[in-house]
Amino acid sequence: MVYFQRIKESKEYLIKEKGKYLFFLNNFSGNLKIVIENKNCQVFIFGVYLGKGKEEFNLNTFQIHKVGNSFSNLLIKGVFFEQSKFFYQGLIRIEKGADNSYAYQKNQNLVLSENCQVESRPYLEILANDVFCTHGATTSNLDKEQIFYLKTRGFNEKRANFILVEGFLLEVIKEIEKILKNEKVKSLYQDIKEKLQKVYSKI
Amino acid sequence: MKKRLEFKYKFGFSVPHKPVYTTKPGISEKVVKEISYLKGEPKWMRDFRLKAFKIFKQKEMPKWGPDLSSLKFDEIIYYLKPIEKRADYWEQLPPEIKKTYDLIGIPEAEKKFLAGVSAQFESEVVYESIKKDLEKKGVIFCDMDTAVKKYPEIVKEYFGKLVPPADNKFAALNSAVWSGGSFIFVPKGVKVPLPLQAYFRINAERMGQFERTLIVAEEGSFVHYVEGCTAPIYSTQSLHAAVVEIFVKKGARVRYTTIQNWNKNVFNLVTKRSKIEEEAIMEWVDCNIGSAVTMKYPSVFLAGRKSKAETLSLAYAFGNQIQDTGAKMIHLAPETSSRVISKSVAVKGGRTSYRGLVQVLKGAKKSSVYVSCDALILDKISRSDTYPTMKIFEKDVQIQHEATVEKIGEDKLFYFNCRGIKKEEAESLLVNGFIQPIAKELPLEYAIELNRLINLQMEGTVG
Repeated sequence: MVYFQRIKESKEYLIKEKGKYLFFLNNFSGNLKIVIENKNCQVFIFGVYLGKGKEEFNLNTFQIHKVGNSFSNLLIKGVFFEQSKFFYQGLIRIEKGADNSYAYQKNQNLVLSENCQVESRPYLEILANDVFCTHGATTSNLDKEQIFYLKTRGFNEKRANFILVEGFLLEVIKEIEKILKNEKVKSLYQDIKEKLQKVYSKI
Repeated sequence: MKKRLEFKYKFGFSVPHKPVYTTKPGISEKVVKEISYLKGEPKWMRDFRLKAFKIFKQKEMPKWGPDLSSLKFDEIIYYLKPIEKRADYWEQLPPEIKKTYDLIGIPEAEKKFLAGVSAQFESEVVYESIKKDLEKKGVIFCDMDTAVKKYPEIVKEYFGKLVPPADNKFAALNSAVWSGGSFIFVPKGVKVPLPLQAYFRINAERMGQFERTLIVAEEGSFVHYVEGCTAPIYSTQSLHAAVVEIFVKKGARVRYTTIQNWNKNVFNLVTKRSKIEEEAIMEWVDCNIGSAVTMKYPSVFLAGRKSKAETLSLAYAFGNQIQDTGAKMIHLAPETSSRVISKSVAVKGGRTSYRGLVQVLKGAKKSSVYVSCDALILDKISRSDTYPTMKIFEKDVQIQHEATVEKIGEDKLFYFNCRGIKKEEAESLLVNGFIQPIAKELPLEYAIELNRLINLQMEGTVG
């Protein structure tokens, strides 16, 4: 059984029972705090951000491991057009004694306009030693070689661009599908695809 | 030999020395004026100090990072004048200070360990000939106090321009009471073949509390400056607040290596900054082993097209130590690239933090940044934090950051065990292997000392 929650407002979740928990963020601004208070908990936080116009997102996430033998994984992907802004701060905190914790945090952003602003602060505070924690953050434009490849296959610039951005964002959905497969996830997939098409139809 | 080494590495050392003159503890406008008067400084420098002192009074303590509340500004002596006349030759140094140099292994002890290699450093004949050679090329290498008097034009142009007194509280304090530090000017196209080290420039104010270093590398030049020493530097004072400013002109390259091992009662709060122009290269190699609290984030302003910057940072926190280190890379021009490699080790309750800033401003097209932080936590009571910040205002860029925190793998220890190597030895081998990418960038004699130091520390912790 997987607990699935789509985050619409700032909230603190205390994870007390063992099991799998999945939190999904879509263009959400606010705080998400996950506190793991029991062993054998697996927490997944997935996020998709699509910024256009003058949209501005401000996201803070907390992965707090109070008890060991626990696992948390965060993946936030964002694509930013026009004058959109994204401010992200994520914290992994492993409390003293929470040994055998595994915590991951990844934030990847595509900046597609020179008027965008992206700030990423992936923080780690590790107070136990028998842990494995990593975080990574990347911010870049699309890979020119990949665009070139698609062009040689007969796609025009805009279409090639769309294919790459779509693939970039839908990777998050693929990760979700590994844990949970149902109608809800399918609708997420459709939702993101439609939004993206809307943005590209205007360009 | 080993016994002596262990003693000095574990406990630091103190050699009684008789200061000729000291100011009273505490800081006031009077003290600042007194320092300037004692040094016989020109008016512009005196005014600079007084202005900085006003800023120091207004500025608040940093609201982030390690706790600095035990720092008492009123109990610190801001100026010590250890010997009366500046010693121009090794022989002229007072015996106490010479003994200090001997104890930290310069140059006699080096000779024993590294007979062949250290020969180039050991005698004052060599020291003199290098100095003459540099002078012929037009390289200026002297202490900052001399530079203010002898080269006021160059100093005025650059002093306090990169780290203005208003930058932070400790930069303001340094600007008000600075003493000693190095001044290096490398003319156009000159490449300095040997690393310049503070002990070439023998004078008593080598290890001041408020050093001020200024390096200007003109077009196409190269210089490598090394400060510090792997042996602990004993200090009765509890604060070391230095400022380092480096200007790297078009196509020039500067490498600045620091090996910091202050006594474990020192607050080491240093502001280091450099500005690099077109196609210039700046490299910071920053090793922090000593002090109670270190806060140091060498920064680079990549102001010229195609300029490159690199920071290699190593932190080792043992016991109550806090090493809060990192790097700042600010990209202002197109096609610039920077790289930060940070490695930290926390042992026996030590705390290491990486705090970094990467900023890519509008117009810095096609810039790339790579940041990698690895932390090793050796026991349950130690702690490691990572606080990177990335601010991106440009689209055509590549920014990467990654960090890992882990302990020494059981599988690795097991492998060593199978080969008959004890746990303690295996741990120091693994720690030394972990810091190798940075240690290998140090001049050989420093790298060997660092290696030895880690081994000794590890023996103490694990045995």
